[in-house]
Parts: sequence; structure tokens; C-alpha cells
Amino acid sequence: MSFYSLIVLIPLAALVSSAFTNGWGAFWRAATQVEALDAYELTIGCAVLGALINAVSGLGIAWVLARDAFWGKAVLNALIDLPFALPTVVAGVTFYTLYGPHSPVHLTLTGTWVGITVAVVFVTLPFSVRSVQPVIETMSFTAEAAAATLGASNTRIFRTITLPTLLPAIVTGAGLAFARAMGEYGSVVFISNNLPFKTQVASSYIYSLSSAGDNIGAAAAAVMMMVIALVALTGISVASRRLAKGL
Amino acid sequence: MQRSPLWLRYAVIAWVFTLVGVPLIFLFDKAGAPGWSAIWSALHNSATDHAIGLTFRVALVAVPLNTIVGIGAALWIVRHPSRLSQLVDRIIDVPLAISPIIIGLMLELAYAHTGWLGRPLAALGIKIIFSFPGIVMACLFVSLPMVSRQLIPLLREIGNNQELTASSLGAGPIRIFMTITLRSIMWATAYGVSLTLARVLGEYGAVLIVSGNITGVTQTLTLDIGNNFDNYNAYQGFVGASVLATTSVVILLILGLARHRERKRHEHLARAPR
Repeated sequence: MSFYSLIVLIPLAALVSSAFTNGWGAFWRAATQVEALDAYELTIGCAVLGALINAVSGLGIAWVLARDAFWGKAVLNALIDLPFALPTVVAGVTFYTLYGPHSPVHLTLTGTWVGITVAVVFVTLPFSVRSVQPVIETMSFTAEAAAATLGASNTRIFRTITLPTLLPAIVTGAGLAFARAMGEYGSVVFISNNLPFKTQVASSYIYSLSSAGDNIGAAAAAVMMMVIALVALTGISVASRRLAKGL
Repeated sequence: MQRSPLWLRYAVIAWVFTLVGVPLIFLFDKAGAPGWSAIWSALHNSATDHAIGLTFRVALVAVPLNTIVGIGAALWIVRHPSRLSQLVDRIIDVPLAISPIIIGLMLELAYAHTGWLGRPLAALGIKIIFSFPGIVMACLFVSLPMVSRQLIPLLREIGNNQELTASSLGAGPIRIFMTITLRSIMWATAYGVSLTLARVLGEYGAVLIVSGNITGVTQTLTLDIGNNFDNYNAYQGFVGASVLATTSVVILLILGLARHRERKRHEHLARAPR
């Protein structure tokens, strides 16, 4: 416990207290600079988009991994976990070169929100798949089979039976992906070109303040981002519980 | 059991291959294309060499420390339920949800020579930020829950009947831990340790801030890669990145093995008569 305090709690307290060194007014001014607001907007936008893309594609991937058997499935399964094991900076430099100014596939995404979203989708891929996969594996199919014998179409079965069962797990996975994407740095910083007001994500903004010596301003923006993420995650978990109950 | 349509299977394979497989192959191709002698001389670059050594030393301290703390914390949370341990159980995943940049900033604010704890420590002549202990602390922070979150559900599930039996037969606590507890949590621990190792070797944002990124002194391999890339020395960066990517693939194989063994153990337990 004292280890936990030394490593996590004391630094957390130091961050919050530095953010409010000069009072509430100074905190609010620092945390709502135009440059900061632009960075939050871009970060949240790309995080939401990335989480949605992963929610849909993750469902498909989890479905295939859970229900099919085919040659090469083990490789596919291992590739899903790669973004967890691969250092973010390695992903960052690879994406920058693959989709950069001298792209070998003639696709230049540097300095665009599309590039940032691609990086975010990559690093958060495992969250959605691994949240949904175990639920599909243990699902019972009696309701689906019953609906089929009563003449329901595949689309209708999926929409009225399968999707509602899986929805809480899909939402959980999307929430985890969103949280991770909000704080992503290493994989995003190269491909984003890191242009203030344009393609600077929140983590880069905080880093640029801190390396310019403005630790109080950096702490203010950091506290703001953490509050936004916390509110969003609480909202997602409440929504997910409602969904589970309502269906 | 309803199978998925073929188009879905092919779409999934194409998507995962494009998103994950293509970048990985591309990276190895970039590093490998100029041939072995180029790779060999890139690996003997003095800054990269130092960075590999430093990363190795950081992992050597951070991973065992985190493993011991993780096993201890999991045992404490599951076996000695109290209000405090429940609170820790609830907040233990917090480090995973905080941006590495913010983690680095937190540590700097607390432990820099002007910080809360940094000032008294500096008076004692102990330097944490911009030196080795700071890098280790950043790695500990980001990987803190990796071992315990694997063990907590497992320890809850297996209970402590065997341990109580051993204790009533006169076995000491060390013998009980070594022969019973450790054996049943071995593969789950291996899984958590591999995740910790991956995180420690690959940490970038938090280490970037606390280390000061000084070439040849506090630069870890991830920082060296970033630096080479920023300084138009991309090939050197690719070789460093391939070293880390190779390590990640090895870690993935270990993870796969650990998961496989854990599932085997599970099936074995499920079949055993109660």
C-alpha cells in the first residue's frame, strides 16, 4: 500500500495541487486556452471515431474467432494481441513511414485526423475483440435456433437477439478503447505532425507545455483531460448498465 | 452452432492483415533490406548500444519488483478483505487509464528537485528525475496492475482449501506458498509478467518526461528510436524498432503458451471429482 502511495497516489496529488497553484481562475484560464480546446476536440473526436470503428470491426473479428475454425486462425488470433505487445513508438515510426510523405503505398495521411485515427484504431484493436469474444464463446444459441424455426430472417435474429446479448460487452470494449485513445501519445505523435491548433493531440499539447517549462499549465490541461475521460467513462458504464437492464 | 458467413471471415482476415500485418512486415523489410552488415553496424551505434543496455537494466529492476508487489497485492486483496483492500481493488486499474504523458508529468511534479518529495530527497543527495530511479518508477507506474489483475480472479476462484489442509498437516507458510499457491498461479503469473515486460520495454511517453531524454545517459531504446527518427536518421530508428518488435513477437508467443496452459489447467480442474 505504501508502495502504491509512493508510485501513484503522491504523484497524483502533486499533479492536482500544481494545477491549482494559482487558484481556480488561473486553472480555468490555463485549461481552456484556444490551443488546449483545439487539442481536446481533436483528441476526443479521433478517440470516439476510433472506438466506433473498433466496436464494429471488433464484433466481426470476435465473431469469426469464436465460431469458425480455419487454417491460419492461430496467426489471426496472435495478430490481434500484437498492438498490446508492440511499443507505441515502434507503431508510430512505422505508420509515419508507411503512410507518410514518401509512402510506398501512395497514401499520405501525415498531419491529418485520418492518420491519427488509423494509429488509434491500431493501438486499441485488442480491447473490443477481447471484450466481446468470451461472451460469444459462452453464448447459448437456443433463442436463435427457436427464432429461426419460427421463420425469422438472419438479419432479424441478429438485430433482435444476438446484438442485444452482446451489447454490454461491445460497450465495455468501446469504453476501454476510448480511454486508451484519449491518452495515446507514442503512436500518434509522428503521424500527426504535431501542429498546434491543427493536429496536436492533448498528450502532445501537455508535453509541449511541460518541456517549455510551464508545468502548471501542463498540469491544468492534464487534470482537465482526466476529468473529461472520467466523466465519459462513467457515462458509458451507466449507459451500458441501462442497456443490459432494458433489453 | 451457427457459423459465420464466408464473406465475413475474409473481410476480417483482410482487415486485420491490413491494419496489423502489413505494418509489421513493412517494418522488418525496412530494417532488413540493406542487409546484415548494415544491421550489424546499426546495432553497434554507441547511442543505440547504450540505450539497449539501459532498457535491459530498467527491465531487470522493474519487472521483478512489479511481480513481487503484484503477487503480494493480489493475495492481500483476495485473502484479507478489508475496507482498505477493497478500495485498492477498485482503483488498481487506474494507471491503465491515464495517459503516459500525464504519468510522466505527475512523477516529475512529485520527484523533481523542486517537487514535494524531490526536495527532501535532493537534500539527501538522491536524484530521481532525469536519472535511473525515475525511469524505473515510470515503468512501475504504467505496468502496476498487470500481474495482480491476472491473479485476483484466479485466486478468488481456487479458494484456499488446499492451503488450509497443508497448514493443518504442519506445513510452514513458505512451504505452502512454494508448493501450493505458486504452482496454481504459475501460468497466470507468467502471463502477467510477460505483459509487464512488454509494457516496460515499450514505455515511451512517461519515460520521455522523467528521463530528460539525454543521449548516452538516460535514453532508453524507445527514446533512441524516436530521437533517430526526429533527426532524419530513420534507418537507425528502424533497426532499433525491429529489435523491440522482435521482442514483442517473442512475448506474444509466451503469452499464447501461458493462455493455453492456463486453459488446460482449467479444464483439468473442471473434470476433477469434487
